[in-house]
Amino acid sequence: MNPQIRSIADLDRVIHEPGRLMIAALLFAVRRADFLYLQHETGMNKGTLSSHLSRLEEAGYVAVTKTYRGKVPQTLLCLTGAGRKAFEQYRRNLKEAL
Amino acid sequence: MDQVGNLLARPRQYHNIDGVGELGGSAMCLGFALLLWLPAHSPAGSVWHRVPVFVFAGLALLIHYGTKAVKTRITYPRTGFVEYRRRWHTSAIAAALGAVAAAGLAAGFRRQLDISMLATVGGLVFAVAYGYHFARAVHWKWAVAGAMAAVSLAIGFLPADVLGALGSDSPAAHPDRARLGGAVLISLLVYGTMLLVSGGISLGHYLRHTQAPAQEER
Repeated sequence: MNPQIRSIADLDRVIHEPGRLMIAALLFAVRRADFLYLQHETGMNKGTLSSHLSRLEEAGYVAVTKTYRGKVPQTLLCLTGAGRKAFEQYRRNLKEAL
Repeated sequence: MDQVGNLLARPRQYHNIDGVGELGGSAMCLGFALLLWLPAHSPAGSVWHRVPVFVFAGLALLIHYGTKAVKTRITYPRTGFVEYRRRWHTSAIAAALGAVAAAGLAAGFRRQLDISMLATVGGLVFAVAYGYHFARAVHWKWAVAGAMAAVSLAIGFLPADVLGALGSDSPAAHPDRARLGGAVLISLLVYGTMLLVSGGISLGHYLRHTQAPAQEER
């Protein structure tokens, strides 16, 4: 198979979806962030964001921690080691494909 | 790929979305100016010659906890919490630049160079650092960076006696040190004021364009 076509075929489909790509890129640049931050930066509604996060969590790319900030519930999110590797690999594959 | 690059840069830009980074910098510059001015213009034996360490410690605590309080009470409930990755190379570069600046200052004193020019060089470095950290995210702040650079250059052309008088009113003071002290004092006052105005505008803009705390649910 043509290597360029192969790198397109190798693109991680979990990360490739635009909403999840935004989430992964934002989380890649930080140690952790909360749900409200991702909602503010991506402009997604709570349901859509929650659904994308569940998909990333299922794939083992995002770790979710429920906690409290004072009396307010807070959902903290961070990319796991596997998530970081997958995002780096995705960027490499995308560069090769383009 | 550019859009992915933009997303990767977003958290760094978010750090000063509320202008608190600049307000903290302003407090630091104006506080240091006060620390320079008070001992230089108070009589020998005055209490101001003995308290700078305490004032410095108080200032550092005020900036640290003040910034944290604004982030916790205003920013995080409005637009979310971010914990940044610790980058050792940033600290290493800052330490190396500090060491180079200290070595330059020491060499200037030893060779009796016109060390008031060091304030100009330091000011230009400050303007570049400001542009890199703040103006890349908010483009009108390039005007602030440009004004900082222009002020730094202008300070280099101020008459030596004006700088000396600002640096110390004691006739026993070393003239070079008094000139450097005067140049640094003006620089800190001007940068502190610019950061206060720029940070204040950002904070006002942030408060107007974000909603008051909302409960987070998932």
